[in-house]
Amino acid sequence: MKTASIKHLRFAVALIAMGSFASSVLAGGLAIKAGKVVTMNGDDAILNNAIVFIEDGVVKGFGKQGETKIPKGYRVIDASDKWVVPGLVDAHNHTAGSLMDLNDMVYLTNPGLRTLETIVPDNELIKQARAGGVTSVLLIPGSGTNMSGFGTISKTAGRTVDEVVMRAPGSLKIAQAGNPEWYWYGVGRSYMNYNTRQTLEKALAYHKKWVAFEEKKVAEPPLFDPIFDEFRGLFQRKFPASVHTQIYQVVMTTIDMLANKLKIRTVIDHGTFDGFKTTPILKGSDVYTMNGPRQYWFDMSQRKMHGNCARWWQGGQKKLGCNTDAPVVPQAELSYQAAMACWYGWTPYEALKGVTRMPAEALMIDGEVGSLEPGKSADFGIWTGDPLDPRSSCEMTVVRGKVAYDAKVKRRF
Amino acid sequence: MNRRLSIQTIIIALGAAFVVAPALASPPAKIALKGGRIIPVVGEDIPVGTVLIEHGKIKAVGKDVEIPYDAMVIDISGKVVMPGMIDAHSSRGLDIRNENLDVTPFLDVYDAIDPSKLYFEDALRDGVTSIHAIVGNNCVIGGLSRVIHPIGITPDEMTQQPSVSLKLSVSPQRGSDRMAQLATFRETFRELGEYLENLAEKKYEESLEKKDEKIKVGPDEAKKLGKDLIKPEDYDDKHRNLVKLTRGQLGAFVYAGRAGDVAAAASLAKEHGFFKRTTLVLGASCYKAIDEVKSANRPVVLDSKLLYREENPITGKITETFIPRVYADAGVAFSLLPSSNTSLAERYLNYQAARCVRNGVSRQAALEAITINPARALGIGDRFGSIETGKTANLVVMSGDPLDFSSWVDLVYINGIRAYERDDDIRLKQLLGEEKPEVAEPAKDEKGNGEAAGDKAAKADTDSAEDKSEETSEKAEKKKE
Repeated sequence: MKTASIKHLRFAVALIAMGSFASSVLAGGLAIKAGKVVTMNGDDAILNNAIVFIEDGVVKGFGKQGETKIPKGYRVIDASDKWVVPGLVDAHNHTAGSLMDLNDMVYLTNPGLRTLETIVPDNELIKQARAGGVTSVLLIPGSGTNMSGFGTISKTAGRTVDEVVMRAPGSLKIAQAGNPEWYWYGVGRSYMNYNTRQTLEKALAYHKKWVAFEEKKVAEPPLFDPIFDEFRGLFQRKFPASVHTQIYQVVMTTIDMLANKLKIRTVIDHGTFDGFKTTPILKGSDVYTMNGPRQYWFDMSQRKMHGNCARWWQGGQKKLGCNTDAPVVPQAELSYQAAMACWYGWTPYEALKGVTRMPAEALMIDGEVGSLEPGKSADFGIWTGDPLDPRSSCEMTVVRGKVAYDAKVKRRF
Repeated sequence: MNRRLSIQTIIIALGAAFVVAPALASPPAKIALKGGRIIPVVGEDIPVGTVLIEHGKIKAVGKDVEIPYDAMVIDISGKVVMPGMIDAHSSRGLDIRNENLDVTPFLDVYDAIDPSKLYFEDALRDGVTSIHAIVGNNCVIGGLSRVIHPIGITPDEMTQQPSVSLKLSVSPQRGSDRMAQLATFRETFRELGEYLENLAEKKYEESLEKKDEKIKVGPDEAKKLGKDLIKPEDYDDKHRNLVKLTRGQLGAFVYAGRAGDVAAAASLAKEHGFFKRTTLVLGASCYKAIDEVKSANRPVVLDSKLLYREENPITGKITETFIPRVYADAGVAFSLLPSSNTSLAERYLNYQAARCVRNGVSRQAALEAITINPARALGIGDRFGSIETGKTANLVVMSGDPLDFSSWVDLVYINGIRAYERDDDIRLKQLLGEEKPEVAEPAKDEKGNGEAAGDKAAKADTDSAEDKSEETSEKAEKKKE
């Protein structure tokens, strides 16, 4: 109970800090004259020669150039020959914090660890991310063990931890096979799956005890356990599990164990190699796939090249996006990841959605970011053209209505 | 830019891993395999007869089976139908053979089965309809095994029988010696006994707590009184399967690598109460302990290496023993294993059986060793392993006698579903050179004209190169002009 109140306090501080920060900078609002606005809203609307109105860090509405008047007191940014694109969202990265503290490989599963404690606001990698039009990132721990802790969703602009953190825990990081196989004595999939399942079942049992208490089926509250307490949000489906999973059998286990049996909101991170073959067993589930950093797989047995995203898409997985796994692929190159997915057969517009709205949906932050709609956070990039065209560059990045990167002031790319 | 793919190539590519394994669609309700020779394994061969399948089960077998009007009739005249073959012990469908831990009775091969392995496709092509997926011999106590069939895209779809047995090995594989191996068993079972006693004591105390009574007896008495209070769900993961094992509720596949290990395997099983559920998995030289094997009277699974070669260190004389013959002569029912070395003919179960016949084992014993014997060893003999009324319709139709090595597997039925058909086996045709491999990406020239794939593309390249050279020479000529 004590930690809960501390958490609330911290939240309140964050809100106050944010509020004062926003009002001091944004009095009067901001109007962007845009050649093209890719809204990524539910109707997939694309607005040409439009004006984007922003107040208090939030999108107020849209107007048409030459028709809608810009009220007095608005600061106007002229981007009438440019594209305004929702801030890119990376659902799998390691850049928002200290790179030294990502992989605490104490046990084969390490519930109770959080990346929140390792956030380094405005670090060099985050500055790069901003310059690439990336505005929200999920900082997750590494994949050295089957369960390496809780991730944190963070903005790419802000000076303090409270300013940048959007949600903590952002997700639970689970790594199935691959890297954890190198745990010191070497483990196979049967042991890893058993171990992950057992840890989650313990956490679920803890959650159920609390539920029973809250529903007044039990008189006495259960013993508070700091290791398993954060899992309650996971089983209440308030945040997803980011699962390092690739190769058919491993992705199959992810879907079967986590999404179907334990009813956890699951995001397949990576999903590479022949992971796309799992699409027949994905039908009807709310599992998201954030493919990357690999974008193709060469099938030796068939001697065929497969574009991962293209294959997921063709198999019917429409909840699809790309990630960078930064710093594996530089955070600023998230748009290139989508471009590569298209090079290997995916559709350009869907790929752009795959680095904006889709990761936002996957992380359950689509109420705030991922698309440009009235009421949502004014996070966007102003691009010289289609972000999927590698020749385009992001000229300006706006986070919460505030200019976070301006190429005219200091160009990075 | 060669990246626009036709829908057809996508479908082929997506289905790549499952070329011959179709989706588990519901089968036709009734199928009659008519006109072929039937080898039921249990019972006499029927020279010309019919097998009637109804809802995945064998409804009738015989010379004059009345075929219902609504049955799909498949004419297999000139062919042979036999029960699907059974691989009694295989780790090839797993991601790794063994975990790097000695005692893992809490694990299940369910978590290690990889349905996308080419092995399953091969097994189906070779007429194997049941596979006992079990961890390798490199363990002391390995995890739970299960019987699966080689079709399906998840372990759940593939499972015929879960929780078949635990794997135990009395022969050290990791470089430790035999005494250490057996000491680990002793320690494991001692710890199990201690755990059960403590659990009983705890349950007794809990039962008194509920009644608000004080403990009246000493710990020894409490352990006895609490014994009956333990419910199956009280056991923890680490001990649950061991409890089942020692109470004969689980099978045991006990590996004995050398002749000297057979006695140890038998006494271990007897000592801990699972002898009646034990199957002996025997290494090649174990035939030397044939008397012990015979007196144990338990099912036996033989190593895939059927010939034992030994050199007399003094005379240099080499003796060869054909292992299954020794067991057959002693009247021990055995199961054969295919070799995991895919470049040898030993990989085919029917080849292993044929070798037995060549070396003097009766044809009947050889056929039983790849069908009904493994089914019985796995405790599924009432459902699989022979063509009998009421059994699951796991059938293989071969182009000729199964022990004639020029015969092909033509059709495979699993649960009455046609799981394999040689005419549709694209990969087999590719291997035999009957069909050129499909290439997903059609080559295109710069104008965007599609060209046929594969070697034609290479040809197109040279063609266009020639075109270009012609062009350039034309240009050069024009320049000259």
